[in-house]
Amino acid sequence: MTQTPATRPGIRHRRRRRPSVGRFVFLGLFMFFVLAPIYWMFVTSIKPSDDYLAIPPVWFPAEPTTVHYTAALFAYRGLQGIVNSLVVSLAATVLSVAVGTAMAYSLARFNTGGKHLSFWVLSQRFLPPIAVVLPIFLIYRSVGLHDTRLGLIIAYTVFTLPVSVWMMLAYFRSMPRSMEDAALVDGCTQWQAFWQVAVPLAAPGIVAAAVFAFIACWTEFFFALVLTSRTAFTLPTVFRAFLGFQGAQYGEASALAIVSLAPSIALGVLAQRHLVRGLTLGAVRG
Amino acid sequence: MTTDATSAISPARRQPRRRAGLSEWSDRHFRWLLVVPAVLLILSLSVYPLVFSLWVSFVNYDFQIPGHAFVGLKNFSMVIFDPVARWSLVLTILLSSANVAIELGLGLALALAMVRSFPGRGLVMSVLIIPLFISPVIVGQAWALLLQRPFGPMNYLLGQILGQEVTIGWLTESPWLYVALIIADVWQWTPFMFVILLAGLTAIPPNLYEAAELDGVDGWQAFRLITLPQLAPIIMLAITFRLLDAVRLFDTIFIMTAGGPGTKTYTSSFYLYTVGFTQFHLSQATAGSWIFLILTALLVGLLVRRLVKSEPA
Repeated sequence: MTQTPATRPGIRHRRRRRPSVGRFVFLGLFMFFVLAPIYWMFVTSIKPSDDYLAIPPVWFPAEPTTVHYTAALFAYRGLQGIVNSLVVSLAATVLSVAVGTAMAYSLARFNTGGKHLSFWVLSQRFLPPIAVVLPIFLIYRSVGLHDTRLGLIIAYTVFTLPVSVWMMLAYFRSMPRSMEDAALVDGCTQWQAFWQVAVPLAAPGIVAAAVFAFIACWTEFFFALVLTSRTAFTLPTVFRAFLGFQGAQYGEASALAIVSLAPSIALGVLAQRHLVRGLTLGAVRG
Repeated sequence: MTTDATSAISPARRQPRRRAGLSEWSDRHFRWLLVVPAVLLILSLSVYPLVFSLWVSFVNYDFQIPGHAFVGLKNFSMVIFDPVARWSLVLTILLSSANVAIELGLGLALALAMVRSFPGRGLVMSVLIIPLFISPVIVGQAWALLLQRPFGPMNYLLGQILGQEVTIGWLTESPWLYVALIIADVWQWTPFMFVILLAGLTAIPPNLYEAAELDGVDGWQAFRLITLPQLAPIIMLAITFRLLDAVRLFDTIFIMTAGGPGTKTYTSSFYLYTVGFTQFHLSQATAGSWIFLILTALLVGLLVRRLVKSEPA
């Protein structure tokens, strides 16, 4: 009880000093932990095959090679996987963000369907994919959408929709509606107020939502594994080809991984300002 | 008088608009029209498949046998009394709780380390979030490469540190393969916790700490009395989002262990996938999926209700 006033003068020093060294050691170790697998993958992708099995491991190859990249892209049809992934991800992103922005605008400005509708959309985010992928597989088989890009585009549009809707919902809510109101007073239709006033103003939010939708599609594996096989397969599913032959195709697998992770990391790091909103569906502001 | 001027915000347009019945109709139902595409998409690719799968789970659905005979609860009982199914559920619970707990601890530590600015913080931030943008398949592949028994560098490095030969079969031996799966998951998702908790930490009003300092509260007490209570809603939110993804664990298992050895690393998703797509017991798999869906829904109900309660205003 009496000790509190006695220690008062010394406090300010105590609080500042302690954490710094430990803090940077911890951050350094964690950065090493993050970068080590990526570095090892990169090194493996440019190693001659003879270096895989060397003990001690070859930390950097004496003669780097690009043969694994060509093999992964052509012999293992990585290139077709990239093309499919690009087409599917871009199309699904555009659709998801367009449909999602429209819905979010209606939810934000008119409170359409009240809380029920918006939470129903949100609940889709928590639906385990395994629960829907089996029936979708059966339905796709019977309507001829199995192993088509279109089928995967529709599936990806739907599964990225909750994030698009909720990110845009948060964005529209944070945006003042006075500009749209002014447009309406000036005789604009609701459509014009939406399309010519609100959408341009929301452009930064739309871009952020698009980036996260694209990354989600680009890295998705489970739906692609089930809903595609020989023609519409995406980049992540190409890695199946390297299973069961462990050792022989390390270089090819690594090369393909490097090719695949480069664009999504670049996009993600560029959009990191919006990351928190993207991860929490707008519930937390970054 | 109006030649459809490009400037939309012009009072002169009011007159011609009135005439077009369709545009008036669409304007009146504007808010519903905006919602329709999204609702239709979700209905057709989420609600309809779920209803369809409910039917599938009560019949014997087989590509070979025409006419899907009604079998009642047989598919459900086959899953419930399958020891592999029960084991996979236990493993799903154990792995996802371990993953989320470790990720929360590390993420909180990272967030505390990053909350005050220092030179190079932006670069460190960019590095720390990298795993979030990588396909889990690649994460599995990368860790398999590092841990692979005879020639992965992990055993070699451990051997150098410990001064004796290390021959851990990270992807084949019983306790270690769980460690390997946890490492891969922690690698990928700790940044998720970190980013959200950092946002939460930044939002704590600094005057709380100033007041505490005047009251003679030391660092640890300030953490316990100010940081944790202030952060609680965000921690809850981060756990909710992360846990609901963690229970789906599939991709890294598919790549790293393929469920093996035997069925030792079957998670619920992996089990249901195997039953459905390698054994082609489609009805049994959909029945199991419904059980899994209901369990997930219970978890959602539990967590989201708490979340709504802890939401500050």
